[in-house]
Amino acid sequence: MMRRVWLNLRLFLQGALLSYIGLFAWLRPATYLASKIVMPLAQILFFTFMGISATGQSNAHFYIIGNAVQIAAVSGIYGVTMSVGGDRWAGTLPYLLGTPANRLAMFSGRAFFHVIDGITGVLIALGWGVVLLGLDLTRTDPLALALTILITTFSTSGLGLLLGCISLVSLETMFVNNTAYFLLLIFSGANIQVSTMPGWMQAISQVLPLTRGIAAARRVIAGDSLAQVAPLLVGEVLLGGLYVLVGYSLFRWFEYQGKRRGTLWGF
Amino acid sequence: MNLQAVRMSARVVVAAAEVTLRQNIVDAFVLFTILLQPLVIAVLAMWMLGGRGSENAIFVVIGSGMTGLWSSLLFMGGNSINWERWTGTLELLVGQPSHMSLIVFGKNLAVVLQSLGSMLASYALAAAFFQAPLHIAQPLLFGVSLVLMVISFVCFGLVIAPIFLMNPQVRHWQNAMEFPIYMLSGFLFPIALLPGWTTPLSYLLTPYWAARALHGTSGGTASSSETLLCWGMMILLAVVYAFVSRWLMDVMLRKARADATLRME
Repeated sequence: MMRRVWLNLRLFLQGALLSYIGLFAWLRPATYLASKIVMPLAQILFFTFMGISATGQSNAHFYIIGNAVQIAAVSGIYGVTMSVGGDRWAGTLPYLLGTPANRLAMFSGRAFFHVIDGITGVLIALGWGVVLLGLDLTRTDPLALALTILITTFSTSGLGLLLGCISLVSLETMFVNNTAYFLLLIFSGANIQVSTMPGWMQAISQVLPLTRGIAAARRVIAGDSLAQVAPLLVGEVLLGGLYVLVGYSLFRWFEYQGKRRGTLWGF
Repeated sequence: MNLQAVRMSARVVVAAAEVTLRQNIVDAFVLFTILLQPLVIAVLAMWMLGGRGSENAIFVVIGSGMTGLWSSLLFMGGNSINWERWTGTLELLVGQPSHMSLIVFGKNLAVVLQSLGSMLASYALAAAFFQAPLHIAQPLLFGVSLVLMVISFVCFGLVIAPIFLMNPQVRHWQNAMEFPIYMLSGFLFPIALLPGWTTPLSYLLTPYWAARALHGTSGGTASSSETLLCWGMMILLAVVYAFVSRWLMDVMLRKARADATLRME
């Protein structure tokens, strides 16, 4: 029993590391800097300045926090999708699915380093907000903020795992990823108050990652305690877990169909 | 240059544009860049800027449409020559009699023309979903501004394409080049909000002058002299870009023929 646990843990961690190093196409200095550091900064500045143009300087923090936390989607969607779907393009998917390795450990491990990467990205983004745009963190509970960022990147990576499964069978991976990323800019509440949206848009917001995380981050930075935002964080964790579960189910179903039809190479 | 040569050059440009249009129309990434992304930005801008009044809608339509134009030029126009390398046809194009710049001009012309769909999509969204009044105050001047914008953008693409081909390190920064140009060009908010030291950078960009002309003529806020200034700058920058691109193309062709290094990245 213990040996099995140890083997699965080793599979989880080694698979996570190898998939991150081998399949994350942005892991080159210039591309990483451009896509994970500069692009997020540019996005925050763009929407913050647009927000200031619309509603004045006093509301800048709304856009800074919203876009900084939304940056978790860069790792959560693009990074995780590359690590899941990359095996298909590298031609190693049949070998992977031919092993007796624990599928849950193999699948969920793909997101591990991207969660860490996502946390780093959000922290850097908030740092930009403090240094360049005067974001005030003096009333923030650091533990509450850290937990909020961790949970939000986890839930976003859950969506990434689901989208990664779609990349196993679709040729339009970047189209799906880009669409998901940009729709999150609307529905997550990063730039628009969720409460001002029509009912159908609010319903969509509630089933997407980031919505509760961004709301919690705004409240924590405004001075709320961990206990006060706990309901939001619990909801975010559960939603992330649901995405992981659905993604894993889809992954297993694709594997079964691929083996049954002999189309693994054709994925 | 005689009339025969002009007709043959035009034929090459049109053929390159037609092939590019046909290829791009079925490319999901292209459709995302032209339609979906500008629509998302239009929705966000309409919501965020909605408090400034319904007459702001045409400003959002123009601005969000231009974000699609720039993104298309950056990714599709910028990779117009790289695409030929990736598909193994670059050497064939370099070896044929027509100058490479004509082909790249045609490809960029197709990219810019199809990305005008961004503006149409934003217009449709604003009209249907937000039911905003969309009135162009100076339609004739707007039309001239649009034509000059197309020409200057195509010329800008002639500079970007060989740079991305010869410098992979620059191409790796493509993802980071979208939003800065949106800001520096004043697509959706005035550049006066940015630090003063960025203003000269804006003045060097043809998207800035295009946005200024289109916003001014659509909203009726630009004086005749301001509109003429924008037109003059777009023409001037187009000429400068054309000269610079000619030099870059010559460098690129030398790398292909003499150094034989273009195939390698």
